[in-house]
Amino acid sequence: MRISVNSNSTHVIVAIEGRLDTTQSDSFEKQLLEVIESGQTKIILDCKALDYISSSGLRVFLIAQKKMMAVAGKLLLCNLQPGIKEIFEVSGFSMIFSIHPDLETAIAAI
Amino acid sequence: MSKPIKYKLSVSNQLSELGNIHSTLEKLINDWDIPLQFGMPLNLAIEEAFTNVVNYAYHDHEQRLIDIEFVRTENQIEIIITDNGFPYDPTQNADPRTDLPLEERPIGGLGIFLIKKLMDDVQYQRHSDKNILKLTKRITQ
Repeated sequence: MRISVNSNSTHVIVAIEGRLDTTQSDSFEKQLLEVIESGQTKIILDCKALDYISSSGLRVFLIAQKKMMAVAGKLLLCNLQPGIKEIFEVSGFSMIFSIHPDLETAIAAI
Repeated sequence: MSKPIKYKLSVSNQLSELGNIHSTLEKLINDWDIPLQFGMPLNLAIEEAFTNVVNYAYHDHEQRLIDIEFVRTENQIEIIITDNGFPYDPTQNADPRTDLPLEERPIGGLGIFLIKKLMDDVQYQRHSDKNILKLTKRITQ
Protein backbone atom coordinates (compact mmCIF):
# COMPACT_ATOMS: atom_id res chain seq x y z
CA MET A 1 0.00 0.00 0.00
CA ARG A 2 1.19 3.51 -0.76
CA ILE A 3 -0.48 6.88 -0.91
CA SER A 4 0.39 9.98 -2.88
CA VAL A 5 -0.77 13.44 -1.90
CA ASN A 6 -1.46 16.23 -4.36
CA SER A 7 -2.71 19.53 -3.08
CA ASN A 8 -3.72 22.80 -4.67
CA SER A 9 -5.24 25.99 -3.28
CA THR A 10 -8.73 24.53 -2.82
CA HIS A 11 -8.37 20.86 -1.96
CA VAL A 12 -6.05 17.90 -1.59
CA ILE A 13 -6.26 14.62 -3.46
CA VAL A 14 -4.96 11.54 -1.69
CA ALA A 15 -4.54 8.62 -4.10
CA ILE A 16 -4.43 5.21 -2.40
CA GLU A 17 -2.71 2.38 -4.20
CA GLY A 18 -2.50 -1.35 -3.43
CA ARG A 19 -3.88 -3.49 -0.64
CA LEU A 20 -5.20 -2.16 2.64
CA ASP A 21 -5.07 -5.17 4.94
CA THR A 22 -4.35 -5.57 8.65
CA THR A 23 -0.60 -5.34 8.10
CA GLN A 24 -0.91 -2.03 6.22
CA SER A 25 -3.62 -0.17 8.11
CA ASP A 26 -1.40 1.38 10.83
CA SER A 27 0.86 2.95 8.23
CA PHE A 28 -2.15 4.16 6.23
CA GLU A 29 -3.71 5.64 9.36
CA LYS A 30 -0.52 7.52 10.22
CA GLN A 31 -0.14 8.94 6.69
CA LEU A 32 -3.77 9.94 6.32
CA LEU A 33 -3.94 11.58 9.75
CA GLU A 34 -0.83 13.58 8.88
CA VAL A 35 -2.74 15.07 5.93
CA ILE A 36 -5.78 15.84 8.09
CA GLU A 37 -3.72 17.28 10.93
CA SER A 38 -1.84 19.54 8.52
CA GLY A 39 -5.05 21.56 8.48
CA GLN A 40 -6.57 20.41 5.19
CA THR A 41 -10.36 20.70 5.32
CA LYS A 42 -11.23 19.48 1.82
CA ILE A 43 -9.87 16.04 1.05
CA ILE A 44 -10.64 13.66 -1.81
CA LEU A 45 -9.59 10.04 -1.41
CA ASP A 46 -9.04 8.60 -4.87
CA CYS A 47 -9.49 4.82 -4.57
CA LYS A 48 -8.92 3.99 -8.24
CA ALA A 49 -5.86 1.83 -7.49
CA LEU A 50 -7.09 0.52 -4.14
CA ASP A 51 -7.35 -3.21 -4.84
CA TYR A 52 -8.41 -4.58 -1.49
CA ILE A 53 -9.71 -3.47 1.89
CA SER A 54 -10.51 -5.34 5.11
CA SER A 55 -12.14 -4.18 8.33
CA SER A 56 -8.85 -2.69 9.55
CA GLY A 57 -8.78 -0.40 6.51
CA LEU A 58 -12.45 0.52 6.95
CA ARG A 59 -11.61 1.49 10.52
CA VAL A 60 -9.11 4.08 9.26
CA PHE A 61 -11.65 5.54 6.81
CA LEU A 62 -14.11 5.92 9.68
CA ILE A 63 -11.54 7.57 11.97
CA ALA A 64 -10.68 10.02 9.18
CA GLN A 65 -14.32 10.82 8.52
CA LYS A 66 -14.98 11.48 12.21
CA LYS A 67 -11.94 13.77 12.41
CA MET A 68 -13.07 15.70 9.35
CA MET A 69 -16.55 16.07 10.81
CA ALA A 70 -15.04 17.49 14.00
CA VAL A 71 -13.37 20.30 12.03
CA ALA A 72 -16.42 20.79 9.76
CA GLY A 73 -14.31 19.63 6.81
CA LYS A 74 -15.21 17.61 3.74
CA LEU A 75 -13.93 14.13 2.96
CA LEU A 76 -15.01 12.69 -0.37
CA LEU A 77 -14.29 9.30 -1.91
CA CYS A 78 -14.14 8.47 -5.59
CA ASN A 79 -13.33 5.68 -8.06
CA LEU A 80 -14.23 2.76 -5.80
CA GLN A 81 -13.67 -0.59 -7.53
CA PRO A 82 -16.81 -2.81 -7.55
CA GLY A 83 -15.53 -5.18 -4.83
CA ILE A 84 -14.62 -2.29 -2.54
CA LYS A 85 -17.97 -0.64 -3.19
CA GLU A 86 -19.73 -3.83 -2.11
CA ILE A 87 -17.80 -3.80 1.20
CA PHE A 88 -18.81 -0.17 1.77
CA GLU A 89 -22.45 -1.03 1.11
CA VAL A 90 -22.48 -4.09 3.36
CA SER A 91 -20.88 -2.12 6.23
CA GLY A 92 -23.31 0.77 5.92
CA PHE A 93 -20.37 3.03 5.01
CA SER A 94 -22.12 4.11 1.80
CA MET A 95 -24.47 6.13 3.98
CA ILE A 96 -21.80 7.92 6.00
CA PHE A 97 -19.40 8.72 3.17
CA SER A 98 -19.87 10.90 0.15
CA ILE A 99 -18.91 8.55 -2.70
CA HIS A 100 -18.42 9.77 -6.27
CA PRO A 101 -18.01 7.73 -9.45
CA ASP A 102 -14.90 9.58 -10.63
CA LEU A 103 -12.42 12.29 -9.71
CA GLU A 104 -14.09 14.97 -11.82
CA THR A 105 -17.43 14.68 -10.03
CA ALA A 106 -15.67 14.59 -6.66
CA ILE A 107 -13.77 17.80 -7.47
CA ALA A 108 -16.99 19.43 -8.62
CA ALA A 109 -18.67 18.46 -5.34
CA ILE A 110 -15.98 19.58 -2.92
CA MET B 1 -15.62 -31.61 -11.61
CA SER B 2 -16.73 -34.80 -9.91
CA LYS B 3 -14.44 -35.09 -6.90
CA PRO B 4 -13.64 -32.24 -4.53
CA ILE B 5 -10.16 -30.77 -4.93
CA LYS B 6 -8.37 -29.84 -1.74
CA TYR B 7 -5.42 -27.76 -0.70
CA LYS B 8 -4.09 -27.33 2.81
CA LEU B 9 -1.93 -24.53 4.08
CA SER B 10 -0.38 -24.40 7.55
CA VAL B 11 0.69 -20.99 8.78
CA SER B 12 2.03 -19.67 12.06
CA ASN B 13 -0.01 -17.34 14.26
CA GLN B 14 1.62 -14.20 12.88
CA LEU B 15 -0.14 -11.45 10.93
CA SER B 16 2.83 -11.43 8.55
CA GLU B 17 1.41 -14.72 7.17
CA LEU B 18 -1.38 -12.74 5.47
CA GLY B 19 0.87 -12.25 2.43
CA ASN B 20 1.38 -16.01 2.17
CA ILE B 21 -2.37 -16.62 2.58
CA HIS B 22 -3.17 -14.03 -0.08
CA SER B 23 -0.76 -15.47 -2.65
CA THR B 24 -2.03 -19.01 -2.00
CA LEU B 25 -5.62 -17.87 -2.54
CA GLU B 26 -4.67 -16.04 -5.76
CA LYS B 27 -3.05 -19.20 -7.09
CA LEU B 28 -6.07 -21.37 -6.22
CA ILE B 29 -8.46 -18.89 -7.81
CA ASN B 30 -6.44 -19.20 -10.98
CA ASP B 31 -5.92 -22.98 -10.85
CA TRP B 32 -9.48 -23.80 -9.78
CA ASP B 33 -11.23 -21.63 -12.32
CA ILE B 34 -12.87 -19.30 -9.79
CA PRO B 35 -14.08 -16.01 -11.31
CA LEU B 36 -11.91 -13.08 -10.21
CA GLN B 37 -14.72 -11.19 -8.49
CA PHE B 38 -14.71 -13.85 -5.76
CA GLY B 39 -11.12 -13.00 -4.83
CA MET B 40 -11.98 -9.99 -2.70
CA PRO B 41 -14.76 -11.52 -0.53
CA LEU B 42 -12.85 -14.78 -0.05
CA ASN B 43 -9.65 -12.99 0.86
CA LEU B 44 -11.48 -10.68 3.23
CA ALA B 45 -13.32 -13.48 5.02
CA ILE B 46 -10.09 -15.45 5.53
CA GLU B 47 -8.21 -12.35 6.70
CA GLU B 48 -10.85 -11.43 9.27
CA ALA B 49 -11.09 -14.99 10.62
CA PHE B 50 -7.31 -15.49 10.68
CA THR B 51 -6.66 -12.09 12.30
CA ASN B 52 -9.16 -12.90 15.04
CA VAL B 53 -7.43 -16.19 15.81
CA VAL B 54 -3.98 -14.54 15.88
CA ASN B 55 -5.14 -11.67 18.11
CA TYR B 56 -7.48 -13.46 20.50
CA ALA B 57 -7.16 -17.26 20.48
CA TYR B 58 -3.96 -17.54 22.49
CA HIS B 59 -3.11 -16.01 25.81
CA ASP B 60 0.65 -16.38 25.49
CA HIS B 61 3.24 -15.55 22.86
CA GLU B 62 4.14 -19.07 21.79
CA GLN B 63 4.27 -19.90 18.12
CA ARG B 64 1.30 -22.02 16.97
CA LEU B 65 0.16 -23.48 13.69
CA ILE B 66 -3.16 -22.57 12.13
CA ASP B 67 -4.46 -24.80 9.34
CA ILE B 68 -6.36 -23.34 6.41
CA GLU B 69 -7.92 -25.93 4.15
CA PHE B 70 -9.51 -25.04 0.83
CA VAL B 71 -12.04 -27.42 -0.72
CA ARG B 72 -13.37 -26.78 -4.21
CA THR B 73 -16.46 -28.63 -5.37
CA GLU B 74 -18.57 -28.05 -8.45
CA ASN B 75 -20.57 -25.10 -7.13
CA GLN B 76 -18.72 -23.82 -4.12
CA ILE B 77 -15.53 -23.33 -2.20
CA GLU B 78 -15.13 -24.14 1.48
CA ILE B 79 -12.42 -22.67 3.64
CA ILE B 80 -11.84 -24.48 6.91
CA ILE B 81 -9.74 -22.69 9.49
CA THR B 82 -8.55 -24.79 12.42
CA ASP B 83 -6.72 -23.53 15.50
CA ASN B 84 -5.97 -25.00 18.91
CA GLY B 85 -6.64 -21.81 20.87
CA PHE B 86 -9.22 -21.07 23.52
CA PRO B 87 -12.82 -21.92 22.55
CA TYR B 88 -14.41 -19.11 20.61
CA ASP B 89 -17.47 -19.19 18.39
CA PRO B 90 -17.54 -16.12 16.14
CA THR B 91 -20.97 -17.03 14.77
CA GLN B 92 -22.40 -16.01 18.17
CA ASN B 93 -21.05 -12.47 17.86
CA ALA B 94 -23.77 -9.81 17.86
CA ASP B 95 -24.01 -7.93 14.58
CA PRO B 96 -23.11 -4.24 14.71
CA ARG B 97 -25.69 -1.59 13.76
CA THR B 98 -24.83 -0.47 10.24
CA ASP B 99 -27.60 2.12 10.06
CA LEU B 100 -26.20 4.49 12.66
CA PRO B 101 -25.21 8.03 11.71
CA LEU B 102 -21.50 8.89 11.59
CA GLU B 103 -21.40 10.40 15.09
CA GLU B 104 -22.69 7.17 16.63
CA ARG B 105 -20.78 4.62 14.58
CA PRO B 106 -18.24 2.87 16.81
CA ILE B 107 -14.71 2.41 15.48
CA GLY B 108 -14.13 -1.27 14.70
CA GLY B 109 -16.23 -4.39 15.27
CA LEU B 110 -16.92 -5.10 11.60
CA GLY B 111 -14.67 -8.11 10.95
CA ILE B 112 -16.93 -11.01 11.87
CA PHE B 113 -19.98 -9.21 10.51
CA LEU B 114 -18.26 -8.92 7.11
CA ILE B 115 -17.48 -12.66 7.11
CA LYS B 116 -21.17 -13.44 7.73
CA LYS B 117 -22.36 -10.99 5.08
CA LEU B 118 -19.90 -12.01 2.36
CA MET B 119 -20.04 -15.79 2.81
CA ASP B 120 -23.10 -17.93 2.08
CA ASP B 121 -22.60 -20.05 5.17
CA VAL B 122 -20.46 -19.87 8.31
CA GLN B 123 -20.29 -22.85 10.68
CA TYR B 124 -18.37 -23.22 13.91
CA GLN B 125 -17.46 -26.45 15.70
CA ARG B 126 -15.38 -27.19 18.77
CA HIS B 127 -13.79 -30.58 18.34
CA SER B 128 -10.86 -32.22 20.19
CA ASP B 129 -9.64 -28.95 21.72
CA LYS B 130 -9.77 -27.25 18.35
CA ASN B 131 -11.81 -24.40 16.94
CA ILE B 132 -13.00 -25.27 13.45
CA LEU B 133 -14.54 -22.50 11.41
CA LYS B 134 -15.98 -23.41 8.02
CA LEU B 135 -16.69 -20.65 5.52
CA THR B 136 -18.67 -21.54 2.40
CA LYS B 137 -19.05 -19.46 -0.73
CA ARG B 138 -21.13 -20.52 -3.71
CA ILE B 139 -19.27 -20.03 -6.97
CA THR B 140 -21.25 -18.97 -10.00
CA GLN B 141 -19.61 -18.28 -13.34
